[in-house]
Amino acid sequence: MTYPLVVTRRMTDHPADSHTLERYEATSGYEQARRALTMTRDELVEEIKTSGLLGRGGAAFSAGLKWSFLAPARPSYLVINGDESEPGTFKDRQLLERDPHQMLEGVIITAIANEVHHAFIYIRGEYPKPARRVQTAVDEAYARGYLGKGIFGSDYDLEVTVHLGAGAYICGEETALINSLEGLRGEPRLKPPYFPAAKGLYMQPTIVNNVETVSNLPHILAMGSEEFIEIGHPLDTGTFMISISGHVNKPGNYELPHGLTWRHLIYDIAGGVPGGREIKAIVPGGASAPWFIPEIHLEDQITKDVCAEAGSMLGSGAVIVMDETTCMVRAAERIVRFFAHESCGQCTPCREGTTWMEMILRRIEEGQGRAVDLDLLLDVSDGISVGLAWPPKMTTICPLGPSAVSPVLALRDYFRDEVDEHVKMAGCPLKKVEAHA
Amino acid sequence: MSHWSEATQERAREIIARYPQKRSAVMPLLYLAMAEEGYLTNEGMEEVARWVDITPAQVQAVATFYTMYKRRPTGRYLVSCCTSISCMLLGGDDVLHAVEDESGVPHGETGADGLLSVEHVECIGACGGAPAVQVNYELIEGVTPDKARDLVRWLDTARPDVVNTDEMQELFGGVRSFDWAIREGEGAKGPYPAFQALGTVGREGET
Amino acid sequence: MPGPCQIAVSCRHVACTASGGLGVAMGEAGPEHVTITIDGVSHEVPAGALVIKAAQDRGTYIPRFCWHERMNPVGMCRMCLVEVQGPRGPMLVTACTNNVADGMVVDTRGPTVKKAQEAVLEFLLANHPLDCPVCDKGGECPLQDQAFSHGPGESRFVEIKRNFAKPIPISDLVLLDRERCILCARCTRFSDEISGDPLIEFKSRANVTEVNTFPDLPFSSYFSGNTIQICPVGALTSAQYRFRARPWDLQMVESSGMHDTAHPRLSVQVSQNEVLRLVGVDNDATNHGWLSDKDRFGFQYLTSEERLTMPLVRQDGQLVETTWAEALDRVAERIGLIRDEDGGEVFAVIGGGHGTNEDAYAISKFARVVLETNNVDARLDDALSSHFLAATADRGLIADIDGADTILLWGPDLKEEHPTLYLRVRRAAQELGVRLVVIHPRATGLDDRASMKLTYRPGGGFALLDEVADGKHPELRQALSADRVVAIVGQASFADGPQLAESVAAYVRNKAGSARILPLARRGNIFGALDMGLAPDLLPGRVAPDHAGRAALAESWGEPPAARGKDTRAMLEGIDSGEIRFLLLVGADPVRDVPDPRRALLAMDSAEYVVSIDLFLNDSNREADVVLPAAGFAEKDGTVTNLEGRVQKVNVIAPIPGQGRPDWAILDDLAERAGRPIGLANAESIAKEISEVAPAYTGITWDHLEWEARDGAVVPLSGSQPLSHIPVALKGDNAPTAPLLLHVGRTLYDDGVMLRHSPSLRPLARGAVVHLNPEDAKKAGAQDGHPVRVVTSHGEGEFSAILDEGTPEGVVYVPFNQPGGAPLGTDAVVRVTAVGR
Repeated sequence: MTYPLVVTRRMTDHPADSHTLERYEATSGYEQARRALTMTRDELVEEIKTSGLLGRGGAAFSAGLKWSFLAPARPSYLVINGDESEPGTFKDRQLLERDPHQMLEGVIITAIANEVHHAFIYIRGEYPKPARRVQTAVDEAYARGYLGKGIFGSDYDLEVTVHLGAGAYICGEETALINSLEGLRGEPRLKPPYFPAAKGLYMQPTIVNNVETVSNLPHILAMGSEEFIEIGHPLDTGTFMISISGHVNKPGNYELPHGLTWRHLIYDIAGGVPGGREIKAIVPGGASAPWFIPEIHLEDQITKDVCAEAGSMLGSGAVIVMDETTCMVRAAERIVRFFAHESCGQCTPCREGTTWMEMILRRIEEGQGRAVDLDLLLDVSDGISVGLAWPPKMTTICPLGPSAVSPVLALRDYFRDEVDEHVKMAGCPLKKVEAHA
Repeated sequence: MSHWSEATQERAREIIARYPQKRSAVMPLLYLAMAEEGYLTNEGMEEVARWVDITPAQVQAVATFYTMYKRRPTGRYLVSCCTSISCMLLGGDDVLHAVEDESGVPHGETGADGLLSVEHVECIGACGGAPAVQVNYELIEGVTPDKARDLVRWLDTARPDVVNTDEMQELFGGVRSFDWAIREGEGAKGPYPAFQALGTVGREGET
Repeated sequence: MPGPCQIAVSCRHVACTASGGLGVAMGEAGPEHVTITIDGVSHEVPAGALVIKAAQDRGTYIPRFCWHERMNPVGMCRMCLVEVQGPRGPMLVTACTNNVADGMVVDTRGPTVKKAQEAVLEFLLANHPLDCPVCDKGGECPLQDQAFSHGPGESRFVEIKRNFAKPIPISDLVLLDRERCILCARCTRFSDEISGDPLIEFKSRANVTEVNTFPDLPFSSYFSGNTIQICPVGALTSAQYRFRARPWDLQMVESSGMHDTAHPRLSVQVSQNEVLRLVGVDNDATNHGWLSDKDRFGFQYLTSEERLTMPLVRQDGQLVETTWAEALDRVAERIGLIRDEDGGEVFAVIGGGHGTNEDAYAISKFARVVLETNNVDARLDDALSSHFLAATADRGLIADIDGADTILLWGPDLKEEHPTLYLRVRRAAQELGVRLVVIHPRATGLDDRASMKLTYRPGGGFALLDEVADGKHPELRQALSADRVVAIVGQASFADGPQLAESVAAYVRNKAGSARILPLARRGNIFGALDMGLAPDLLPGRVAPDHAGRAALAESWGEPPAARGKDTRAMLEGIDSGEIRFLLLVGADPVRDVPDPRRALLAMDSAEYVVSIDLFLNDSNREADVVLPAAGFAEKDGTVTNLEGRVQKVNVIAPIPGQGRPDWAILDDLAERAGRPIGLANAESIAKEISEVAPAYTGITWDHLEWEARDGAVVPLSGSQPLSHIPVALKGDNAPTAPLLLHVGRTLYDDGVMLRHSPSLRPLARGAVVHLNPEDAKKAGAQDGHPVRVVTSHGEGEFSAILDEGTPEGVVYVPFNQPGGAPLGTDAVVRVTAVGR
């Protein structure tokens, strides 16, 4: 079974050199950037709006609408969010490493559409190879006159700076990323008043777009928005990259149209579960997302709306499959630990609450759980995400803290018995699981 | 009055010129400071403070926020084992233990000979190639505990001046998140990311 | 979070009730109002206000830790979560970061809100050590209070609490306990946003986030004490106050800080008759609640062992203790004798700038009525002209700074000499978008916020002003031609002389659409002293001692002397030459305080008869004939007048040690004994007399200040200003020329008598140092930290060299009156040589 490819087409057809400028130009590269220079800003924004392209960073907000909200003050800036750090997610790494010029052409198109003359590509520090590839692409583009003063022989100037992160998941949150770019601690800003479209980088109007989002732009301009819409699901156009990992036979990134089922994804595309074991839980959209279980969700369609109705989200398209051998307490602890470690520390509930949750889960896993602990855990979670609903009613500035609550919801809804077993047996009932790190 | 080499100072000037406001250069300059001394010293932070005209306390606030700025002496090879959820599901903890056991260096510490530092890290974006390990941020995917032991021994014996992701993947890796396609000779010269703007990119075989 | 937040500042715009200032013009129509519902009750609130503030002003207190009315909101502690009805149902939002909107429905106590608030408190307490019984903050701790009123009552946290070494000193004055810290960022924001020295910052992240300094780089801010005051827990404590008292043991009164002329409002807190701490009091007019560390910690001299407690008279060459009667009779007798022989012109009175208006009035009346002299001056040869200081036309208010288009600061480094004003100007430039122009011979504490900075060689101020007038600095000219310009002018350097500031003011008056002038002077109540007539050419109420002025005063005082009086320099010279036979010093130490101490030393050596009223023996009164013990700050009540002409009440709360008495009481007694009673019964009746005698002070009674004008009252009240001084452009001397020129400037901490007797602050004076540009240092062979010899025609001495890029080439900067530092006088020509070379 094959599906139409957009952003991974070039790397699929030309694996050996998809990242080179030569290959990029030989496969219609930079034609759309040139064309964008001949279009008005309104035409560009309208085309992208019509295409229905949603942001691929997790929030799934219309890219064209986002552009149209940009405040009129100038200078305006563009920041590409390549700080991909959510457990389970590794799609941007592939796009950056394997087709950097595609992303860069998207940057140029976005810049033109938003009167941006300085764009920043923020790549997480743990991605040195993708960063090197992108920097090489940027250097080549400068050398060819595709970046810098008067790009493509026009009178349009565009500078691009590649910025390397240094180990902080929270910088994937757009306002934290902006703080980080300003040389500050990567703490999310308050919204209001610091909406990037109005008061972003250096307090100027700023567009923050994900790597995959802008990688789509040359293709939308090339094929036209109608064709782009046809590829995907009516409500969620185009393709999207799913990163699948955990207990599957063929983990990896898959560029797919929206609307397939989880069963199809896991069993047909990702090759099923090793050893023919049963699925115990699925994390559908990155570590932040509330979990699914096969008994309820396996036949659900993979779309934004269906996921939302089921009380979770598609997020950045990272699917983690856990089979029957997995200890749910341990898995939950590992995800909560991640958020506790990555909390920026500014909001009390997140800073204190996530670590507390981690401590409770670890105690349970290590055999020192008490009967009251699950309720305590839920109540602590309730203090971060009031009412334990999805989407969360946050007591925090950004969604990081409430994200840590998602695995706890799974324990409450699907695996309460397993938690009780831990308490009763003073330890993990699944013998296969070894002591954690 | 900078304590940095003229080449590093020139690089610092180039980096600052890439940003509309010089404070934005704090993060790359912190990497420069690390590359200059092997880890981030107080003097390094003071130097960065002078370059961008903020107080050392402000630099420290930034430097301590991010995990990749190492403020203690770090081994020549920083081995980072991912133990986040996807890697954990496929044995990331075992890989970590193997590294600790083979090297004799517990995570969070540096061996007495200064060769290896071992740490367990949160997700490094290699979930499709779990469990994953980085050496000086150069990635190896699909590592087994046995391969991890091989890696430690290799670092100890070969002591490459430049560690390279493609070479290590061939030697110690397995399942990858995606097809890496071609092999390149670039890699890291020390326990900080190898990136052109920082002047930290080494070539395989280079000394 | 970086950047200004318009929302936060707009809602606390200074409403100014005084006459004359731009504040009035800025006030215009009052703010618009919107209607919101808080807990089911409808309220009219100012549009754009923060929910937390609007609710508070309407009687609903929303708990909070990180929000502080004088700083930008950060919404970090999450304590102030409330529920607001949104388009998609109720939303939890922080009341400190959201503005009111018409029709907004706010729930501050429903179940969701209560759950959130309880959760936040439980989280805050989870790792808190709960060591309230041994915590200075206990009893006045917001965390303690809110745990009590909004908390869940018990902790379910059974894990091991966070551990930090504690307490750690982060400066000589402040201790940090990171276990108590709740990371509200008040201290870090204060040091970054308000005082401009970000030396304490967050460190690390997540659950191990802490506040700290950089290693070996202490939180040595002039304003560090404010962080202790605003810390909502006991994380930051005062080294001075630590374990000294519990809040419930303290008695307190409100008063004003007297270390600078802005008169920051503060609370004096006393236990067992001893002043234990001073705490800033929020007000719009002056200090917004902030205090410099000098104002906050500089009171220990009050309880110094060395305080004078008994009258001293000279006997066989020694000062010996005696009774008041004996001491005063001696002085009275001598006054009568000299007056009969030579008349009033041989008397001199120096001082009065540190006391109350009531004291100053007594000195003024005593000088004119008893001593029959106009030889009286509260300035110590370092100030601008008395008429300019007392009655400049277009005198501004401190609050005018907020609404200005341009602030011109041409004078001393505000951070060093006028810390209260420094904070206001800094805020205006940083948060309110006011264009700031700083002109000074070297780097100043406000340079980082200045949109324009000019330096000039010491003594070259007039030349620079001429250049500006000639159009050589078009940008500056344009900035000064703005609609609303506030000119803060003073003597930047001894080399400039007193006239430059007046010329700058005259230029600005001429250029700006509307100019407001804030003249700067030293000594806490100098403006009150001048208003009481403590200048040879002023009578009480800003009246010139011309025929009409004297005639008006004659009714109550009898005819004041007509002879032209001498200022401090002329008096010192007169003593030396024998023209002056009798010197009365009131809280004055000319040997330490005048720019060229040689004059004072000569005068003290040759003086025939010296009487000193003071708190301490000092370099000027050690050889006096009679020394009388006075009352200090918080030991007497009265009024004081700040640089904008604001009269505020200061209050008594501590006893005077020994037999000390207020200046006015001493002088009243002395007048009586000298046969010329001046009829001063008590401080309040003096204030009443002032309000009757001094035209500008009409209507300013203690009743008015205590009950009606809590932020003080600005004089002159409309229509009663008797003297209006139009600043005029005066010519300067020719600028000195030499390779190196000396710039002597004051620093916050020096070897002044009050600081010398305040153990907490004494070590903070810089000592004998000289700042040299690295290029000049190279030429002189000077190395950082090594001794150099500094020589002028007025003095010389050895100083430790500091290599300093902030001091331009050709300028040599020496902080004035430092422990161990030799006086160098006012001559700008200087030589510097390395010692041992």
